[in-house]
Amino acid sequence: MPVIKLFANLRKFAGAKELSVMGSTVGGVLGALVGQNLQLRAAILVDGIPGPHVIITLNGHNIVDLNTAIDEQDVIAIFPPIAGGQGE
Amino acid sequence: MAGWLEKVLEIDLSTHTYKIYPLDMEMARLFIGGRGIGARLLWDMVGPNVDPLSPENVLIFTNGPLTGTGYQTSNRFSVTTKSPLTGTVLDANSGGFWGMQFKKTGYDAMIVRGKSEKPVWIEIKNGAVTFHDASELWGMRVFALTKKLGQDNNKRNVLCIGPAGENLSRVAAIMNDRERAMARGGPGAVMGSKNLKAIVVEGRERPVIEDPERFKFLLYETRKLLAASPLTSQALPEFGTVVLMNIMNNIGALATRNHQQTQFEGAEAISGEELTEKYLVKNAACWACPIGCTRISKTEKVEGEGPEFESTWAFGAQCGIDDLPAIIEANALCNDLGLDTISVGSTIACAMELSEKGYMDSDLRFGLADMLAPTIEAIASRKDIGAELADGSLRLATKYGHPELSMTAKGLEMPAYDPRGLQGQGLLYATSNRGGCHMRGNMIGLEVLGLPKLIDRFQVQGKSAFVILNQNSNAAIDSLVVCKFTNMGVADEYFARVLSAVTGIQYATTELIKAGERVWNLERLYNNREGFTTKDDTLPPRLLNEAPVDGPSQGWVSKLDPMLKEYYRTRGWDENGVPTKQKLTELGLADLV
Ligand code: SF4
Repeated sequence: MPVIKLFANLRKFAGAKELSVMGSTVGGVLGALVGQNLQLRAAILVDGIPGPHVIITLNGHNIVDLNTAIDEQDVIAIFPPIAGGQGE
Repeated sequence: MAGWLEKVLEIDLSTHTYKIYPLDMEMARLFIGGRGIGARLLWDMVGPNVDPLSPENVLIFTNGPLTGTGYQTSNRFSVTTKSPLTGTVLDANSGGFWGMQFKKTGYDAMIVRGKSEKPVWIEIKNGAVTFHDASELWGMRVFALTKKLGQDNNKRNVLCIGPAGENLSRVAAIMNDRERAMARGGPGAVMGSKNLKAIVVEGRERPVIEDPERFKFLLYETRKLLAASPLTSQALPEFGTVVLMNIMNNIGALATRNHQQTQFEGAEAISGEELTEKYLVKNAACWACPIGCTRISKTEKVEGEGPEFESTWAFGAQCGIDDLPAIIEANALCNDLGLDTISVGSTIACAMELSEKGYMDSDLRFGLADMLAPTIEAIASRKDIGAELADGSLRLATKYGHPELSMTAKGLEMPAYDPRGLQGQGLLYATSNRGGCHMRGNMIGLEVLGLPKLIDRFQVQGKSAFVILNQNSNAAIDSLVVCKFTNMGVADEYFARVLSAVTGIQYATTELIKAGERVWNLERLYNNREGFTTKDDTLPPRLLNEAPVDGPSQGWVSKLDPMLKEYYRTRGWDENGVPTKQKLTELGLADLV
């Protein structure tokens, strides 16, 4: 089964850092992941699609099309909105 | 005129005298403040014949028309000088409280020239300057000195160097408000070369705001925008910048072991999630900042600000170290000694590779966390191995006959983002006027975070336009001066409106960005005058020739050449990277050359 890695506060909402979820597309896996978990759903999706600044990658490559097909060995990573930088 | 105080303070350390004269307001209109005015003044004051560590170099401290007005993050200030690390134009800016207090002393800019015969510290109180003997303070570390000189966040603020600056380490920082750093490019060494230990400011002046009603409205609007953005209202305060560790590792763009790999197996152990769960004590904020991204962390040995993502990376992935307490302690030690964490971490990593390959005789090896603290101490005191590392990785690697192992652009150690997985970021490092740096433009928003919109990070064609826009916008923000994190919730357009409300000069957004472009081109002219050419707009050979053998960036190298050609064209420069007469005329810079 494809593996989903979760980061930042998504771990708290899911109660895990990593989960295996059934599905043949990124969107299918996402749907199965959020399931009945309202906190997770609210953190990732807005009107059924990933919210602004949510980052989803498939084997390290950014995904924008939720219909992207996935294999058994694939790894999906999901990051909630975050930011970058450092001092001068 | 509103916004500016229209006064420049010039201090001569050789004679312990000072003079005050009016700020050239036409220059202020064109270059705004901060980094912009700093670059313009440096152009006239420090030419190519000046050694950065000689009395002829200057330190130019500047605030901007927004500084101290109370606009969100209007706490920042800049220092401009010729870099002793790179030989390029150098500006660094910092937050905290000192910048706001400096403005209250009544000056837009302070130029420090010459060299004091004996160690000295300067006190500026309500405009008057007093020179104090600093012989007994020489050798003191930053935290103790800041306390001794009476740091009181909203009233009296201390800027100083630690032992690293005194010992002229070319990776020494200037520190303010205890743990804020003007870190990159070695400004601390310039201050040390002048025998100047500290500058303490205290004042009561306030800038006039031309249109207070409009300003108040924009303050309210900005507060709403920052609160509405998930980045500035939640992500930054809740997770801090270190949350980038797992993201960069996940996409295969986390430089590891002196850029030998692009993923670090220990990333999770040094991640923002781990830091928050085990070591975070509380959040803090700079003056007038509702974002409050500063995080106080604690181990058994230290408690203090940070570490930020880049510092955690420099001592972590870059050195192959996954011991987070050791990294937190290394960061705190650098702050106390007055050192740039990125350059220090990456220089240690370079020494680790040189030693592992048998080119250098030392005990440094990747992964040895216990080596961090003693090596940092040695760098600050220039003792033992520190004598070789204190001047950065390029001088070190060159000494051992392998300059290619220095992960620098124009001699400045690059931060965490590996250009092989981020083509635009590579172009940015190569063209940055102060060398390998992510604060003179940053493509991570566009290439990774989707801010404001995701673009293909491996794409080469068309990247230069994004890089240029980013660089110009950053130069404008650095001239206002406000914190770049504000820009995650507030568009450039708002900054133009606030600048207009404060100064009474109507700046359209395009004019503000054009001011940024003017600053960028002037800095480029400065570097060209110093002898930098297109051959210096490059990256270490490893990043141009050695592709990662696994991970998401597998098979990729930085495709710098075509991007660079496109960049020069889009900038309006000739094929030698020199701004054309037409471009300089358009920017009002033609009379300079
Ligand atoms: S966002 Fe962070 S660095 Fe910027 S002004 Fe606020 S607290 Fe300071």
